[in-house]
Amino acid sequence: MKKYVPYLKYSGITLAILVGVFACDKTIEEPQRVGYTPASVDEKAGTWKTYSLASPEEISVPAPTAVTSSEYVAELATLKGLASNLSQEQKEAVVYWGAGAVYRWNEIARELAARYNIPPASNADGKYPVPDAANPLADPKFPFANPPYTARALAYLSVAQFDALVSAWSYKYKFKRAAPSKVDASIPVALPVSTLPSYPSEDAVVAAASVTILKAMFPGEVTYLDEKLKEHLASRQWAGMNVTSDLSAGTTLGGAIAAKVMGRARTDGMGAANNQALTAGMIEAAKSRGIKEPWVSQEAPLRPPMLPNYGAVATWNFDKATLGQIRPVIPYVVGSAEWQKELDELKSIQNNQTREQARIANYWADGAGSYTPPGHWHRAAANAAHEARFSEVKMARALALVGTAEMDAGIACWETKYYYYTPRPQQFGLKTSVGLPNFPSYTSGHSTFSAAAATVLSYIFPDQATKFDAQAKEASESRIYGLIHYRIDCELGLVHGRKIGEYAIARGKADGSGL
Amino acid sequence: MGSFGGWELLAQMPSDAIYMSKGQVCVATMYTNSSWNEYWENTLKRENFNIGTHTTQSVMVMPAIGITNRLNVLLSLPYVWTKTSAGNLMGQKGLQDLSGWLKWKAVEVKGFSINGLLGASIPVSKYVPDFLPMSIGLQCKTVSARILPSYQHKSGVYVTGHWTYSWRSNINVDRDAYQADDRVYNTNEVSVPNATDWGARVGILKRKWQTEVFVENFSCVNGDNIRRNDMPFPTNNMEATTVGWYGKFQPKALGMNARVGYVTSGLNMGQSTSVMVGVLYLFNFKK
Repeated sequence: MKKYVPYLKYSGITLAILVGVFACDKTIEEPQRVGYTPASVDEKAGTWKTYSLASPEEISVPAPTAVTSSEYVAELATLKGLASNLSQEQKEAVVYWGAGAVYRWNEIARELAARYNIPPASNADGKYPVPDAANPLADPKFPFANPPYTARALAYLSVAQFDALVSAWSYKYKFKRAAPSKVDASIPVALPVSTLPSYPSEDAVVAAASVTILKAMFPGEVTYLDEKLKEHLASRQWAGMNVTSDLSAGTTLGGAIAAKVMGRARTDGMGAANNQALTAGMIEAAKSRGIKEPWVSQEAPLRPPMLPNYGAVATWNFDKATLGQIRPVIPYVVGSAEWQKELDELKSIQNNQTREQARIANYWADGAGSYTPPGHWHRAAANAAHEARFSEVKMARALALVGTAEMDAGIACWETKYYYYTPRPQQFGLKTSVGLPNFPSYTSGHSTFSAAAATVLSYIFPDQATKFDAQAKEASESRIYGLIHYRIDCELGLVHGRKIGEYAIARGKADGSGL
Repeated sequence: MGSFGGWELLAQMPSDAIYMSKGQVCVATMYTNSSWNEYWENTLKRENFNIGTHTTQSVMVMPAIGITNRLNVLLSLPYVWTKTSAGNLMGQKGLQDLSGWLKWKAVEVKGFSINGLLGASIPVSKYVPDFLPMSIGLQCKTVSARILPSYQHKSGVYVTGHWTYSWRSNINVDRDAYQADDRVYNTNEVSVPNATDWGARVGILKRKWQTEVFVENFSCVNGDNIRRNDMPFPTNNMEATTVGWYGKFQPKALGMNARVGYVTSGLNMGQSTSVMVGVLYLFNFKK
């Protein structure tokens, strides 16, 4: 035995050191996005149909000073100073924001959604306090950025960005002020410069529009958002991309258009979405439609269902008559042979869940603490648009189409959920490997959100249609593998979502973009 | 211990100055039941009606092998399963991590000894690490270095302390984005904080039996906290202090051991009470 001692000692130590070195590296590698020259600057985008404006130039922007004027020459000199001798921190800000204004503000919004996506805790009286917009950082924080809330926040963000950019494009080609570095070649630039006119600045327009929407949606984050806005605007000067008047005109325009978009948000019915007084009537109506055993919260203490009246919020791409027409038919009722078969399927998965089923359930879960399924699909859309080198306005269009489809999907799905008020499998003894949402089962929100987004994305990126469709199907099935939805919830949710996506596509085809 | 991710098992890692003689192999088979109905969400001590009582059970086989009288190898492999008494979170089960320790008596003078231990562990199944508190482990590969001074009087009374640093590898989760440190990481790679642990114990060791009381502390060196009303996550700064008793009775080759532990304070962990019972069998391969 003795002759093995040194061998054991040293092999053990060597192994330990190897694993140790490997275990020590705690750096998290994330995919890095950098700026690009857009595949097309979309010079006609100033004529595209907006969501909120009577005309692209409804909000007026003063004509810029001529590039030969003394004011502009002074602005150029200031810019040259700001763009020279950058600190490491300034360089990093340039690269960060250079990845794209729409791209970054969408990412920021998703992060805020994740940070606010926590259901309130119950208090000592066994009640769940309702988040208070007037006191957003108290416990529970306002908002609870659940999937319907996040779908809506991201929709308004993308719509405001799009409308502001269409207007900016209109003015850009009206005034045709060239980029500073094209006027004065001695301006150092740190990002790709396209032929796009620079007044008003597209970055400033997006930043101001985004901050206006996000401050309203996340009122506890005003300081954070102001810091981001300040850094974004400054980064445009550190990069040598915009003179001060480009930025100030863009900030004013973006803020004014977003304020107009927020006007719609304030009257879209969200204020009544959590009207819990309606649920008793909803349960009676569902019973009259043939539902034998209505949904009951599976939490202790019983938690009021999530936003029971969200189905009454204003839709974007179809009207309320259509909402009723495309509502999925009544699902299998408790006790029927079909229902029993689907419950048995879930029981069988519970007993033998494979690691691959668990992986799919986990990958798509997007539960508490995440940016939710609408955030997941916004991320997919933003990444695809970035990879396709979309201009800012074209990326905003893509995200507005996806974003409005997601909000419509949320509204239509929630309307369906409370129309039928069906029980979750957990009412019949099932557990879950992903966490149980606190609202009725039919139809699956994940399925509706995913099919709507994938349908729109397949229109925008036809070469990736197969992939998006497969992803939507996997997201849908993930809720069966996670044991929280019957198969019919998922399958009819997918059908519903596709129809909802088609309405967004119809809007896109008619917006004058020719895309 | 506190058991968000199977860390109660750490307590069963070698923390004594007892050695198998050359050619001896002692195989311990231990069952542990660790449960809590309150936990620390960040610093907030709370209950959770949708968890009720959370229970982690394990069966672990742990051979201790005497390579020489001053060098032992210890191996362990637990099978772990979790459940709750309320709510609908699905219990998880499976083989957890294989770990091994080299234990070396570096200095021995008049009842006083300094022992150095080097350990490593590696997950042996693809259990889900971020479905806390139901996950059976964290999927880290770890390397640990432990120093363990001990003094034993002729009467059998002993005092032992230990201090350990554990390096823990990053892990991969099934999702491709997650929140930690108040931000979203757009990747499936998660950084699990390194950890230290220490213990102090006083007891009596006789030829056939042993009894001791101990206090132990497990602390991550950094990490974030559980957000208000959210679930734990592998990035959390977990911490727990445990007090307990350990005893062993082994008149001949066959013996038994037992351990109880109670968490007195913690952070981002459950306030668990754990009970372990084991069967020991000593094989003698001395030629």
